[in-house]
Amino acid sequence: MATIAQQRVAYDDTLPRLWRSIRRASPAPSYLFLLPMAVFSMLPIVYVISTAFKPLEELLLFPPPFLVRRPTLDNFQDLLFATNALSVPFTRYLFNSVFVVLCTVMLQVVMCSMCAYPLSKARVLPGRNLIFGAIVAALMFAPQVTRIPQYLVVQKLGLIDTYGALILPSLAWSYGLFMMKQFMDNAVPNELIEAARVDGAQEWTIFWRIVMPNVAPAWNTLLIFGFIQLWNDSFSPLVFTRSEAMKTVSVAMIGLTNGPATIARQGAQAAAAFLMTAPTITVFLLRQAKVIQTMAHSGIKA
Amino acid sequence: MRIAVARTSEALAGAGPRRRRMSLTTQRTLEGYFFVSPWVIGFLVFLAWPLFQSLFLSFNELQATSLTDLKWKGIDNYKEAFVIDARFLPRLWETLRNNLLDVPVIMIFSLFSAILANQKIKGVIGFRAVFFLPLVIGSAQVIKQLFAQGVGGATLSQGVNIQELVFEYIGPDAAAGVSDLLNRLLFVLWKTGVQMLIFLAGLNSVSPVLYEAARVDGATDWDRFWKVTLPLLSPVILVNLVYTIVDSFTDTFNSVLEYIQMTAFAGGFRLGYAAALGWIYFIVVFAILFVVVRITNRYVFYAGDRSG
Repeated sequence: MATIAQQRVAYDDTLPRLWRSIRRASPAPSYLFLLPMAVFSMLPIVYVISTAFKPLEELLLFPPPFLVRRPTLDNFQDLLFATNALSVPFTRYLFNSVFVVLCTVMLQVVMCSMCAYPLSKARVLPGRNLIFGAIVAALMFAPQVTRIPQYLVVQKLGLIDTYGALILPSLAWSYGLFMMKQFMDNAVPNELIEAARVDGAQEWTIFWRIVMPNVAPAWNTLLIFGFIQLWNDSFSPLVFTRSEAMKTVSVAMIGLTNGPATIARQGAQAAAAFLMTAPTITVFLLRQAKVIQTMAHSGIKA
Repeated sequence: MRIAVARTSEALAGAGPRRRRMSLTTQRTLEGYFFVSPWVIGFLVFLAWPLFQSLFLSFNELQATSLTDLKWKGIDNYKEAFVIDARFLPRLWETLRNNLLDVPVIMIFSLFSAILANQKIKGVIGFRAVFFLPLVIGSAQVIKQLFAQGVGGATLSQGVNIQELVFEYIGPDAAAGVSDLLNRLLFVLWKTGVQMLIFLAGLNSVSPVLYEAARVDGATDWDRFWKVTLPLLSPVILVNLVYTIVDSFTDTFNSVLEYIQMTAFAGGFRLGYAAALGWIYFIVVFAILFVVVRITNRYVFYAGDRSG
């Protein structure tokens, strides 16, 4: 009996009562909300997929029809021709993208977490408020305006056309730091850190063995989120690199679909849109379970 | 606490012999700075310095296309924005109004969907993934181009055919209303992906022990939602609020940023004026955020407060 009650506790806790008493009978009311929301959320991806298979005459219709009527694979073939015509093999773009995005995301998360730890937990840290104020201020600033000066900095450091130019500028991620700090404030009990300190653990060890496992949902969220942003970012590779061999997939796709004969390339564009989303969806599916699971495994709570 | 002990002793084993003694406080402070420094250096070089330069730029006008040939203009750029430029202020007002309307809706909606998606019912992982999809694909550059070709919410809500049904059965006025509502709903739904994920992470860091304790003390489910879930979620709500405000105000589709981008790159390369517009916008948004954080912070409850 107790076990059944406990199982219920696990998923009913966040629900108000009235609702729960309805739900007791069946999970139907939840589905009543979940299903329509799911349908609405699916619309863009359905549209993108169906567009990728539209023949040219359907692509040029206005207003564009939602679903494809006569599906065809021509668009993918067009895309293949277009990529074959590139001066650099497509795999090079792919390598650049994967390499840059992975390096950036990992460094981003580690740097943000490292910085957040003393901001959240140190007892003495002169300048803490100054740093935190600066972060919140930086969050607000529209990147469009700092781009030119940022370019000048990158140029002065001699980073133009290197991987450094693609990775370094996005490492100090204000939002990532802000989020890590909030989660550390809340999800890591001070007693735990104190206990480790009393036992003589170094800060470095405390950080990796105690703090990070406890905020795993937060940094997994940042991983997903950073990946999506960086994968789709075409601005920094466009501006910070010159040679074709340093460009990333997102730039290559734009080049493919923006060149001369753009009308004829509309199909290739639709196919590219479809293919570009595949990695981000995969990363999301791989990491999202961690957002939920890690917490359950680490076990200790405030 | 069992696992806590296990982890700590593990940590001890890895810690090695103790260092020589500085003053303990000094040592802790230095360690703190060591942790902070990589981020802060990155911040200073790639964000703070460019920000400062753009402030400088906003008081100048570029003479030629060269980035070093500047002419001092004082506050003329700022004057122009408020007094001469007829396009800037209406855009600013429009952006403010839209965003201030959208933010609360996005917040409530994403909390609602996170709670729904946090249940252990069949297929819930699938739902979670689906709710996040619009964000995953919506931010892609190529998709932006697709949407720029006149594919808006209207095209997509055709996918569910509701407008036509309403049109046939209720009438054209209702159909227009419904389609307006639908477009807005779709728009909000597509913007809630990140917020939902953050709320999910937050909901999962609320200790089951607390629910158990509240239950033993006789709290109803309703009580527990308001007295356990919400207070413990409040720091996450603040995070989300800040994120939502920042995200909607720095969205490249918003008309102020479009205008700034246009001024800087398309319309004659007026970098000085664009920087001034950027700073005005920054100050407005910053003021809004400051007020919101100030008010919200009063209600935020920190479980592991640092004074401990």
